Amino acid sequence: MSKKSRSKLWFLVHSWLALPIWFFVLIVCVTGTLAVVSQEIVWLANPDMRASKPSDEAPLLSYDQVIAAIKQAQPQTQVQSIIRPDESHFALEVGVTYPDGRPDTVYVNPYSGVIQGSAPTFNFQAFTRALHGWWLVPFTNGYSWGWYLVSFLGLPLLASLVTGLVVYKRFWKGFLRPTLRIRHGARIFWGDFHRLSGIWSIWFIAVISVTGTWFLIQALLGDNQISISSEPVIPVVARENVPLSVDGQAPPQLNLDRAIEIAQQRIPGLEASFISLPGNAYSHLEIGGRGWYPLMFQTATINPYNGDVAASRLLSDRTTLEFVTESMRPLHTGDFGGLWIKLIWFFFGLLLSMMVLSGLLIWTKRTALATANAFKRSQKPNRGARIAQALQPSVHRESSEGSL
Amino acid sequence: MNPSNTVSSPSRLSLFWHKWRFHLNVLLLLIPLGFMPKYLSEAALFRGDAGLGERDVGEVQVGPWSLRLAEFRNEAPRVQGPAGPMKHFNAALCQSCIGQVKATYLRIGKPRSLRAAGVIFFGSPYRMGALLPVPPKTQPDAELWITLEGWDGSMHQASIPLNQASPATVAWLKHQGAKP
Repeated sequence: MSKKSRSKLWFLVHSWLALPIWFFVLIVCVTGTLAVVSQEIVWLANPDMRASKPSDEAPLLSYDQVIAAIKQAQPQTQVQSIIRPDESHFALEVGVTYPDGRPDTVYVNPYSGVIQGSAPTFNFQAFTRALHGWWLVPFTNGYSWGWYLVSFLGLPLLASLVTGLVVYKRFWKGFLRPTLRIRHGARIFWGDFHRLSGIWSIWFIAVISVTGTWFLIQALLGDNQISISSEPVIPVVARENVPLSVDGQAPPQLNLDRAIEIAQQRIPGLEASFISLPGNAYSHLEIGGRGWYPLMFQTATINPYNGDVAASRLLSDRTTLEFVTESMRPLHTGDFGGLWIKLIWFFFGLLLSMMVLSGLLIWTKRTALATANAFKRSQKPNRGARIAQALQPSVHRESSEGSL
Repeated sequence: MNPSNTVSSPSRLSLFWHKWRFHLNVLLLLIPLGFMPKYLSEAALFRGDAGLGERDVGEVQVGPWSLRLAEFRNEAPRVQGPAGPMKHFNAALCQSCIGQVKATYLRIGKPRSLRAAGVIFFGSPYRMGALLPVPPKTQPDAELWITLEGWDGSMHQASIPLNQASPATVAWLKHQGAKP
């Protein structure tokens, strides 16, 4: 095959990768972009979620102080978990249950311990994630088919990146001489836009497509009961380690601040960003947070009666494979380094959505031209030849333009 | 997409296809739209809008204590991975026994001892949940046994017919039994 026809073929492959499903790809990109900043959107819309400081030097409350404040405000409410979100402008998210059996998430001010309100009944964050992640198709047995539908897109996206770089000859020159011609008509503008944003998004498209493909692999592994986890199963607290009580009431449990101290002795540098209280008399207290590597959490599993560390899961406990695979999700969502990383992910998410759209616009403009040409030749006898001709000029034009 | 395959005189259908082929995928949006009510009702179920679960079994007296039992979903057990069919029950302890009850267990058939009392409930005593394994060979007239363990070391048991706890499970078991 000649060099020219090979590049034509690459070009056709590139054009056809997203085209038949362009709208689906576009909406997945847009919902993913929204999901990146969904927490911030809720923060903007809902004042209850904000962590306003009562005064400049107000200290953060400890976890025990938070629990005590909730107990005082609502003595009957049971606390199950406390999450301290990464960014300090977010209130604590506390998982609670009310005496009527209703579970709830409440926003608690981290400085005053005031319960500022319940999470709205419509969970925007969860909704955007469900829409982006599995197209709202329910999980009944294993992964939902919506998950497969969306995560499969990682493959054409990766192929689009590779073929795009192949057909865009000497793309690295685009970095040195960025071209965005505004006054030469829409077709030229969208072409320039597609190429310019494409080369600056190489890293992002690579990250999103590789991590997206990982989600596909993850589902395939999960549905086939193949585990790559080196995490041991932690046995429950042994019967003899749960103290009996003479008065028939539950024995006292370790206070949370002491438990965090114990966890920090085991995991130096641990910032406890979530706590999950024991689920029953025989289960453990779990404390977790990020370490030096922001993409993963480290956890300590602690006996709530005597403070023994039953298990810990450190960065160093992960196998190399787990280091890679566990990094995939945060790399995809951009939720590992605070607001700025999220904004970068959001920006490039928008750019990627615009690339899907500009790719489509380029195609329709070209197809419109090619169709007009085809109609001019409509007297020709063989329709097959006509379509072949209709395709030709576009390919010629694009490959010559690609070398601009 | 091989052009030579297209018919020589374009039919109305093929014209339609060529005109709209790139827009048909907009129909993929119907999938999430179609699943939206299901998504919202699931969210409501997990939020506890319908109480403990879709079907309230009622208050069960267990020795000096009692608990309210509910089927989380009013349906047959779901197969969840290699563990086989599981049935999700929720329960709430009576207000006065919360401080005294150490653990709550659920089992199909009478437990021989406290150590074999079945699956343990997790969560707040106001709303705790347990995933009960239901072997497909379970007799439809089996009994569901509830075991409560007290902080003072005492143990109390009660049973209700599986048919009362979950008619959907019994119907499923009967259907299973009909299979060769």
